[in-house]
Amino acid sequence: METDSPSVVVIDDSPSIKTLFEAGLRDSNLELKVFNSAENSLDYLKQHKPGLLFLNIKMPGKDGLTFLKELRHLPLHKDTSVVMISSKDYAQDRSVAEKLGALDFITKPMPIQVITDVINKYLQPSSSN
Amino acid sequence: MSDAYLRFWGVRGSYSAPFESHLGVGGNTSCVEIRVDDHVLVCDAGTGIIPLGNQLMGQSDIRKLLIILTHYHWDHICGLPFFVPAFVPDWNINFFGPGQCDQEIKEHVSAQMQAPYFPVGTETWLANIDYLQPAEDQLINYGPLSFNYQNVHHPGTTYGYRVNVKGKTVIYVSDNECLYLGKSIDRQYEELNEEEKLLYDEMKKEEYAAELDLVRGADILIHDAQYTPEDYEKKRGWGHSCYIDTVNIAIEAGVKELYLYHHDPNYNDDAMEEIYQHSLSIIREKKSSLKCHIAKEGLIVSLD
Ligand SMILES: [Zn+2]
Ligand SMILES: [Zn+2]
Repeated sequence: METDSPSVVVIDDSPSIKTLFEAGLRDSNLELKVFNSAENSLDYLKQHKPGLLFLNIKMPGKDGLTFLKELRHLPLHKDTSVVMISSKDYAQDRSVAEKLGALDFITKPMPIQVITDVINKYLQPSSSN
Repeated sequence: MSDAYLRFWGVRGSYSAPFESHLGVGGNTSCVEIRVDDHVLVCDAGTGIIPLGNQLMGQSDIRKLLIILTHYHWDHICGLPFFVPAFVPDWNINFFGPGQCDQEIKEHVSAQMQAPYFPVGTETWLANIDYLQPAEDQLINYGPLSFNYQNVHHPGTTYGYRVNVKGKTVIYVSDNECLYLGKSIDRQYEELNEEEKLLYDEMKKEEYAAELDLVRGADILIHDAQYTPEDYEKKRGWGHSCYIDTVNIAIEAGVKELYLYHHDPNYNDDAMEEIYQHSLSIIREKKSSLKCHIAKEGLIVSLD
């Protein structure tokens, strides 16, 4: 694992998602890295373990839950902290996310404060580099 | 009959509706056959695939087909245990659907035929069964047909398919709750601050553009239109569209022909006629050239 990994990684196809997270991280000095698809994040995630990974579900290409299942097979991401962030709010998705060890499931549109709160809740100081 | 056509074998969503009052539209669940000469592509395997299988058994020139599944909810797979060609040795049947690999697709297809839910498992299928690997570029060729797939808004991983057949584009999106985020934003809008309003106005536009992209370029669009606005309010978050949204999206995306599909089993023929007439009035009001139909069991659409 590289020491310069950003603390917060977001995978979401929405071009606006970066603005949302920049606002959520405004009062912190945490690093943020955003990918617009699961496929585009894979090379990076093979090398880096984020402090907290936010994963959208319905995206072009691989959906977030299928991708999380794959990630869990990589030793580096067996226990990576993951929070689902989705416009989908279905019991089936929540239960799959839980089985795959996602810590939380937050639905859009959430107030910016929710992003800040979730990061404060789950990001361990020791893993925030 | 032309050598390229599609036929609706099942048009209901959720569960079958074999009631006298419903039979004008049809009672079987999701299944559409797309045929080019002796190539058969079957979209979904609801109860509609049972009569399709019986008909195929009588056609000696056809012994292979590809079944593509949008997802594994029962209304889309429950015809398979009664699909006769699967039990006959000289048939070749390919499956494709959501899954990380061919093995996972196999597991999903097989799961419903396990004890105590069904007396025999898929090991009693005597046909040659193959499960296709997902393609890196999400594009799969099948004889004169090709198709790609993408994720839609429905519980679990659910695909919408874009099928290219004889230069025409048929888009099959059986289950999709369109514009869900936009509606969630509208409901919570007053609780958002100014910065959040700007941000979510943008996300709403992004979602709208994505819905149009999903169906743009369709010569024929077969799309979820399960609910009236009244029922949609009660069943918001169940994974299905209100027909008014489906019609409006088709108009805006420049779709040529729309088949409203995945009908609610509670709607009888009269209720479906009301949905149809209202859809036509929306199209007239918008001065759109969209041709709109209710998908009905047995309906054949030429693709030549
Ligand atoms: Zn369905
Ligand atoms: Zn479904």
